[in-house]
Amino acid sequence: MQTYRLDDPSVLQKHLAGKYRVYQMATGTEGNASWQPDVDGESISGGQRPPLSSAKTLFFSEQENLFSFDGECFRETLPTPEPFAVFGVHSCDLTAIAYQDQFFADDPYYQARRKQALLVGIDCITPCENGFCPTVDAGPGVSQSCADLILHCRQDGSWWLLVCNDKGVRAITGLDLDRAEDTALQTREQAIDSCKQQFADDGYLIDGIRVLHEEKMPEKFWQDVGLQCLACSGCTILCPTCSCYGTREKLVDDNRVEVERFWDSCLYESFQREASQHNPTLEPGQRVRRFWTHKFGNEFVETFDRYGCVGCGRCEETCPGVIGVHSIMKRLSKYA
Amino acid sequence: MHSLTPTPIKLISYDHDGEKARHFTFGLLDPKAMAAPEPGQFFMLHVPGAGAAPFTFTRPPDSQGVFRALVRQMGSVTSALFDCEPGSILGVRGPFGKGWEISPLKDRRVLIIAGGCGLAPLVSLTDHLIMQQYCNELVLLYGSRSAAASVLNPERERWGKDIPVIDILENRGHKHIGLTGTPMDAIDMVINRMKAIPDVLLLCGPEIMMQSVAREFVRRGLDAKQIWLAIERRMHCAVGTCGHCYMEHQYACKDGPTYRWDALQKLVARQSADRQAAYHC
Repeated sequence: MQTYRLDDPSVLQKHLAGKYRVYQMATGTEGNASWQPDVDGESISGGQRPPLSSAKTLFFSEQENLFSFDGECFRETLPTPEPFAVFGVHSCDLTAIAYQDQFFADDPYYQARRKQALLVGIDCITPCENGFCPTVDAGPGVSQSCADLILHCRQDGSWWLLVCNDKGVRAITGLDLDRAEDTALQTREQAIDSCKQQFADDGYLIDGIRVLHEEKMPEKFWQDVGLQCLACSGCTILCPTCSCYGTREKLVDDNRVEVERFWDSCLYESFQREASQHNPTLEPGQRVRRFWTHKFGNEFVETFDRYGCVGCGRCEETCPGVIGVHSIMKRLSKYA
Repeated sequence: MHSLTPTPIKLISYDHDGEKARHFTFGLLDPKAMAAPEPGQFFMLHVPGAGAAPFTFTRPPDSQGVFRALVRQMGSVTSALFDCEPGSILGVRGPFGKGWEISPLKDRRVLIIAGGCGLAPLVSLTDHLIMQQYCNELVLLYGSRSAAASVLNPERERWGKDIPVIDILENRGHKHIGLTGTPMDAIDMVINRMKAIPDVLLLCGPEIMMQSVAREFVRRGLDAKQIWLAIERRMHCAVGTCGHCYMEHQYACKDGPTYRWDALQKLVARQSADRQAAYHC
């Protein structure tokens, strides 16, 4: 992995803007950061926390047309984005993108966007409020396998740029950068280790996950937790690995129908309800239990080689019913 | 890559086949547009403007691309389908899922128990088993709500010339003679009619019926590994990505819809098993 010195990430950003449409975090009027294209004036900082909305919407669109029907033919409506760079993605969200790369490996809509994307990661050098990425092997340092380029903010405020693969090499071609000192990677590892040490005690998380695996909690646990689920879908919308979707028909005119898919939520009462009204997950506790086993179940690890949770903590931040990941794991850990 | 875009079909004709049920004949506009399905596999039927829903092939596409499917009017998609006239252009994707395991049926005594429209996923399998004289013994027990609600009457009549076909109706009405009750009530009679307790049991119908019957046969000594069943779930994509048909870590569209009974138990143990509609497609 080649490493370069970078005085300011904006140098890289401007260079990439000549080749890609650059998305980066931008702060909205309500103070929440989200991914926006062609942002001017916002700088990137080493201590920046992930935005409330993850980058998954850039690949798995919140709503998109799948195909149209003109009365005779069905026509696939694949997206055709220009090459784009996602600038400054944190390790948790990059791990989630790698997870969804696998889940949507055969999804032409996801892959049409994904193949056009350059991922520029950023190492976290301080823990964020609800994050626990080290516990689930998703950070705080960006894995070389999850990004094309990695930015690392040094203690003196200057940066290192790590080039992960050929795509990264092509992206920085034409940029005049000095090679970093030989000790750069080692120093980076030390900074990441230091960041890991600053995370809060994760004992209750580990205990809670074990209780979930061993099913030590009583069945009533999920009934009680289910009562606190308002089915608002905040957790599934913000979760960077959640991927459920529904489809709906849009009548454009008398002769044309467009079929759209949209983010759905497995926590909605109607999610599995069939036309006959039979509903295999009628009780909210059943749905909440499945959500958490989807995030931490060993069966999913067999498929994806990791948990479905990347430790971003967004569910904790958004859940009005106080059953986000920290709240759930604290309660589960009592059965350890 | 998966395609979520349907291929066009024409609604050729339909027969009324039981209460609010029709047996449709469709034709692929391009006869080569779909791979040959295995018995028990399903397809997604797209009714433009209404949506899509999964249905099983009662007859797989022939060389002209003509295939059949039984549909009971139940929700918005099927209601829109029932408003379509022959000649209408609709869409199809498939075939999807895992069909019936056929090799375990070779030279065995096989009992098929179906309820309501649950007979549909067993039609092409039954045709195959009879035509190939594949089993040592083959018996069909069919339960439905009433004579009016019974489906696939021509098929059962046809099969009745080759194998025992036993009907049982929940509400028989005063004009009719025959068995009254659910398939559970006919188990003794069916076993007495067979040479011995069946080697293999195939089930499709309301989940509560399938579970009850399977448990009863296990109680009577049938190996749980010799019971196979097909289940119904809500589906949008049929390729294991939309999430709607999840059962624990599996997806019925991809890992099912046919399962060995003992394997299914781990997946549905915590799901609501009650059927609010007793017999439906």
